[in-house]
Amino acid sequence: MSTHRDAALVLAALAAAAAVPALGSDYWTGLAITVLMWVALAQSWSVFSGLSGYVSFGHVVFYGLGAYLVVASWDRLPPALSVPLAALAAAAFALAIGAPVLRVRGPYFVILSFGVAELVKFVVIAVEAAAGNASRLILRTPEIDAIFYAMLALAAAATALAWGARVTRLGQGLRAIREDEVAAETLGVPAARYKLAALALSAAIPGAVGGTMAMRATYFEPLQAFDPMVSFTMIATAVIGGSDDVRGPVLGALLLVLLSELLWAGAPQLYMVVLGVLVVVFVLYLPDGLCGRLPAARAPRA
Amino acid sequence: MLETLAAGQLAFAALALGALYGLIALGLNLVYGTMRLLNVAHGEVVMLGGYATYWAFTLAGVPPLAAVALTAAGGAARGAAAAQWHLRRLLASPRAAARIEANSLLAFFGLSIVVQNLAALAFSSTPRGYEYLPAVIRIGDAAVTGARLAAVALAIALCAAVLLFLRRHTFGLAMRALIDHRAAAAVVGVDVDRVQRGSFVLGFATAAVAGTLLSMTEQVSPFMGFPVTIAAFVVVILGGLGRPEGTIAAALVLGVVETYGVALTSPTYRSILVYGVFVLLLLARPQGLLGRRAIVR
Repeated sequence: MSTHRDAALVLAALAAAAAVPALGSDYWTGLAITVLMWVALAQSWSVFSGLSGYVSFGHVVFYGLGAYLVVASWDRLPPALSVPLAALAAAAFALAIGAPVLRVRGPYFVILSFGVAELVKFVVIAVEAAAGNASRLILRTPEIDAIFYAMLALAAAATALAWGARVTRLGQGLRAIREDEVAAETLGVPAARYKLAALALSAAIPGAVGGTMAMRATYFEPLQAFDPMVSFTMIATAVIGGSDDVRGPVLGALLLVLLSELLWAGAPQLYMVVLGVLVVVFVLYLPDGLCGRLPAARAPRA
Repeated sequence: MLETLAAGQLAFAALALGALYGLIALGLNLVYGTMRLLNVAHGEVVMLGGYATYWAFTLAGVPPLAAVALTAAGGAARGAAAAQWHLRRLLASPRAAARIEANSLLAFFGLSIVVQNLAALAFSSTPRGYEYLPAVIRIGDAAVTGARLAAVALAIALCAAVLLFLRRHTFGLAMRALIDHRAAAAVVGVDVDRVQRGSFVLGFATAAVAGTLLSMTEQVSPFMGFPVTIAAFVVVILGGLGRPEGTIAAALVLGVVETYGVALTSPTYRSILVYGVFVLLLLARPQGLLGRRAIVR
C-alpha cells in the first residue's frame, strides 16, 4: 500500500517544483531541469532494471537516439512532434534489439548492453562523419521555461510509469523474474514478453529526455549524446536513492546534482571519483539505497 | 589495395596487436575462470602499468624493458590484494555473492571509474608518450621501430611462458583444473584458496606488464582501459574459458580482423568493428564465457 502514498508524495513534490521558474532565475531553472532529467532517466531505468534485475548499462543509447532524432529533424518537424517521436523511436529500437539481447543474462547482459550502446554511438559517429557533420547546431530552440515544463512532465510521467509498473501484474512478474527467472516461467510468467515490454516502456522516456536536452544544449555531438557516463549516472541515481522504490530516484537525483554543483565546475574528475565511490559503497553495502534507510520504510516485500 | 594487404607491415601490425591482446586476455581468463568474477577493471590494471613505466622512464630513467619487472611486481601485489578482498567477501556470504553477480559488476564499473578519474587527477588526462629505441629496423618489407619490435617480442615470449606454465607446471595445471571444475579440483587435492590467489597474482601481473609494453608503442592516457577490457572480453569469449591456446588463437584472430578491417575500410570503423564483434559474439553465445559446457542455473 505504501507505494501509493510514496508515488503521491513524489508527484506532489514534482508539482511543487513547478514553481521554480517563478523565481525568475535561469540558474535555478537550469538546475531544476537537471534534477528532473535524472529523475526521469533513473525512474525509467528502474522500470526495467530495478524490477527485472537485468542491469542495463546501455540506457544512454535511448537518450542519444532521441537527441539525434530531434536534432536531425530540426527545422522540419516542430519539437511538439519530434520529441514524442523520439520517445516512440527509442521504444521501437528497444523492441527491435530486445528479442536477441534479452536472452543474455546476468553479468553478460550488463556488458552486452554497454557494448550495444557503444556500437550505436560509433555507428552514429561514422554516419555523421560520412555526412560531413562533426557536430550539429540547432537554432531557435524553445526558451528555458518551456524546456523546464517539458522535463517536469517527463519526470512526472516516468514516476507514474515507475509506480504503475510496480503495482500491476507486469511489475510482479518482473520481480519474480528477478528472483528466479526459470521458476517464474514455470509458474506461468511470460518472461520474454514481460522483459521486452518493460524494456520498451523504460526506453521511451529517455528518448524524449534526450530530445529535450538536445534543445537545451542547442547542439548535438555524438560523443556527448551517447556518453556512457549518462548510463552510469542514471544507474548511480537509482542505486544511491534505492532502485526498488519510487522515491529513490528523486533522492538520488537531488544528492547527485548537489554533489555535481559543489564539485563539477571546479573538479569534474573529483566528482566522478566521488560518484564511483558512492556506487561501489551502495552496491556492496547499502543495496536498498537511501530509501532503505528512511524511517518510513516501505512495506516488506516478498 | 592488394599490395597493401599483402604487405609485411600490416601482417606485423596484426601480430603485434594479437600478441598484446593475447597477454591481456590470458590474465583476464585466469581471473574470470578461477573466481567467476567479470573484472571490468582489468583494463585499468593495464593503464596503471603503462603509467608506472612512463614515470619510471621519464623521472628515473629506468628503461621500459627493465621496468617490466617493476610493473609485474606492482600488478602482482594488486592481484594479491584484490584476491584477499574478494575471498573475504565470499567467505562472509557466499550465497549473496553469487546472487548479486550482476550488481558486483556494477561495483567494478564504479571502481573502474574511480581509478580512471584518480589517474586523470594525478596525471592529467593528456595522453603521454616517451621516446625509446626509436631506430627503425627493417624485417622483410616491414619497417618497425626498436621499441615496437622489443614490445612485440616480449609479448610473444610472455604469452609462450604463461602457456607453458599452464600446460606443464603443477600450479598451472591446478589453475586449469579449477577453471574446468571447481568441486572436482578440490576433491583431487587442489588447494582452491591458494590457486585462486595465484591466478589473481598472475592475471594482474600480466595485465600490468601488458601496460608497460603498450606504453612502449603508443601513448598512455587515464581512459585507455575500457577499450582494452572490451577487446580482452572478446578474446576470452571467442577463445573459451580456461583454454589458454584458444585465447592466444582468438587474440590473433581479433588482431587480424581489427588490423585488416581498418586497412580495408577506414580507421573510423575500428571501434565499430571491435564492438560489433563483441555484440555479435555475446548474442551468439548468450551463456557467455562458459562456452558450450554452460552451467544452467
